[in-house]
Amino acid sequence: MSTRKSSPVPSVGFLTVVDSGGGSFLGGYLVLNASGRPLEFQCTAPVKANRAQEILYGPTLHPYLWGEQIGGALISKSRTRPLFVCTDQLHTLAVRSAVDLPVIQVLPASPPPSGPTSERKLTTTPSSESAAQLILGRYSCALSRSHLNDRVPVERAWKTHLDDLHLREPFERIREAITEAQRTAAGPASGAAA
Amino acid sequence: MTDLSLRTELFPTGWQTALARAPRIVLKPLPLQRSLPATINIPLRQAAIRTFGFSFPELPAADLGLLAPRPTRSPQRGADQGKSPAAKQTTRIKPPQDIIKLQDRLYYVLQPPLESLTGELRFPFQPFPYQLAGIAFLFPRHAAILADEMGLGKTMQAITAIRLLLHAREVRRVLLICPKPLVTNWKREFQLWAPEIPIGVIEGNQARRNWQWRQPATPVLLANYELLVRDQQIAVNDGLHFDLVLLDEAQRIKNRNSATSQVTRAIRRTRSWALTGTPVENSPEDLVGIFEFLSPGHLSSNMQARRMGLAARDYILRRRKEEVLTDLPPKMFRDAELDLTPEQWISYREAEEHGVVRLTEMGDELTIQHVFELVLRLKQICNFDPAGGSSSKLERLRADLEEVIASDQKAIVFSQWVDSLKRIRAALQPLPVLEYHGKIPARKRDRVIDQFRNDPSCHLMLMSYGAGSVGLNLQFCRYVFLFDRWWNPAVEDQAINRAHRIGASGPVTVTRMITINTIEEHIDQVLQEKRELFETIFSVAGTPASAGLNQDEIFGLFNLRMPPRKPRAAA
Repeated sequence: MSTRKSSPVPSVGFLTVVDSGGGSFLGGYLVLNASGRPLEFQCTAPVKANRAQEILYGPTLHPYLWGEQIGGALISKSRTRPLFVCTDQLHTLAVRSAVDLPVIQVLPASPPPSGPTSERKLTTTPSSESAAQLILGRYSCALSRSHLNDRVPVERAWKTHLDDLHLREPFERIREAITEAQRTAAGPASGAAA
Repeated sequence: MTDLSLRTELFPTGWQTALARAPRIVLKPLPLQRSLPATINIPLRQAAIRTFGFSFPELPAADLGLLAPRPTRSPQRGADQGKSPAAKQTTRIKPPQDIIKLQDRLYYVLQPPLESLTGELRFPFQPFPYQLAGIAFLFPRHAAILADEMGLGKTMQAITAIRLLLHAREVRRVLLICPKPLVTNWKREFQLWAPEIPIGVIEGNQARRNWQWRQPATPVLLANYELLVRDQQIAVNDGLHFDLVLLDEAQRIKNRNSATSQVTRAIRRTRSWALTGTPVENSPEDLVGIFEFLSPGHLSSNMQARRMGLAARDYILRRRKEEVLTDLPPKMFRDAELDLTPEQWISYREAEEHGVVRLTEMGDELTIQHVFELVLRLKQICNFDPAGGSSSKLERLRADLEEVIASDQKAIVFSQWVDSLKRIRAALQPLPVLEYHGKIPARKRDRVIDQFRNDPSCHLMLMSYGAGSVGLNLQFCRYVFLFDRWWNPAVEDQAINRAHRIGASGPVTVTRMITINTIEEHIDQVLQEKRELFETIFSVAGTPASAGLNQDEIFGLFNLRMPPRKPRAAA
């Protein structure tokens, strides 16, 4: 059971992994309150699969590395327990098997669903092979097929606390923060040049 | 066939028995040489993943009014011209280079786009994208100059940045220092852009001011430069500390030796911001003066312009109207080149000949002050003949005003001299004309502005450059007349931009009155050449330009050379 504290205010976690070159990956995890302000940020050092993992995990390598390993490490280190976690990558959705939090994938922007968005109507569409889809306001999202029950707490949290929250924009912040961290780690000279 | 009668004999050999017997099989084990296959262990366990993380303080949003209901937004803001500012754009706060600690840098990087704040904070108008960029520039900085061209809304940007810092609890006590005539304007702008923030104005008698300075519960204190110098004992020596000190019209401290500069630099503070449309009025030295307040020693006088510009780059944000307000109505200049009246010519020639002769005779005793007096004398004659009061400029103004009044527009006339303004007013009787200058008591000035704005019968206001060139919002005026020319084009620009600014109701026509073949024409040429030179230098370094006359140039107006300086007596 997680020892993390529930955040005193409603919060949402945002998880993404970026390619840092040379087969390495960096994970970033940002927890925001309902106003979109940062509460916590976690970031990994570069993570690289070894050759054996590359061969033996085959097509499951990225879900394993991005989701279970990087995502799992970041969420377990976080001191804030969000209402749910968003990712913008299908592979990272695999983190769901490593954590006891609802996880959704925010899908790329697509035409809004028919009907007035102001009603914040929550609808579902038939699931695909790999994931079940759900609509949160103007965002199309996907759930892990093996955790379809996540739909209920996510929908409830969205309706109750979060319907003003941007679900795509925070990933840009994570990517910028990772870049900033890399630049800082590289030394002040590179930071000044930026 | 016959049998052969051969005799045969049979002998038992025992073979048949042997043939009937089953063969006996003997098994003999033959061991095969073999070795076990070698196996290797392929580890699949991932090494422990190293992470690092930071927590940020959670703000009690409800207590700060951040979740207040959204206001009903006005779709019009005068200068919007139907544009939807800030739409579809994101403005992110970027940490300045002097923030070193990663956690501090990430705090700013991870903040939401400023556009999202419009959903949380009350804004009377949707800010323009460049204004949000200005707020994002100020917010993380401990030393900053917002040097936007006049009329782009420096006040609003500063107020909103202060508001965000107060809400984020990054600052709790702010001291805002501005010229005295602008105190009311700042109060009004705070009421508009940050109505929830209490403002304390330092004013009244000494006892009252002593009490006001020590009010810790007031988040924003508003003081004017004059009172600050008078109250320096309290402001500097009384243990007061401010999280942010903001100087409006910061060119006031360009001279490092002035009392104003010394007092402002001595105030204990964490953040130092400066607002000015003209950070360089006369020379790059002006910028060094302002930096002595912001970040002492960061710039030095002996720096070359390019190096100075590069060193200052991360501290200064400067935008020009033509860059950011593409929809602002045009500003049209008309140079009214006028001949003096015959009476003025007589007075002018007499004063000039007499004056130059006198200056020449002074030899080494000649000082800048003497030359300056002659320049002023000649300029005054260019306005009005001292004997009979005739004025070619007045005649032109009277003619132009007929058009202004006929089209139901409003106009401002700027002059260097209150005396000239009064002569204009007397000459235009019975036309209702308002005056705004140093001889109008401060308490009456707001009323003058209100009347000018709201009284449809008032078409004309006479203003002095000193009182009316900064901070006032007169964007309902379509006409500006420069009855005489100021020494420095930056001050003229400030004056013109009272009318040509955000919210301008239409094109602004600026009429610059210049009497030909006089000192005015000569000054105009020198200033124009200098302005072009500064534009060239500072466009490389990214810092703003404007330029006034220096001593050599003032002497040069009469083909005089500045006498060599006398050596100072030893102390």
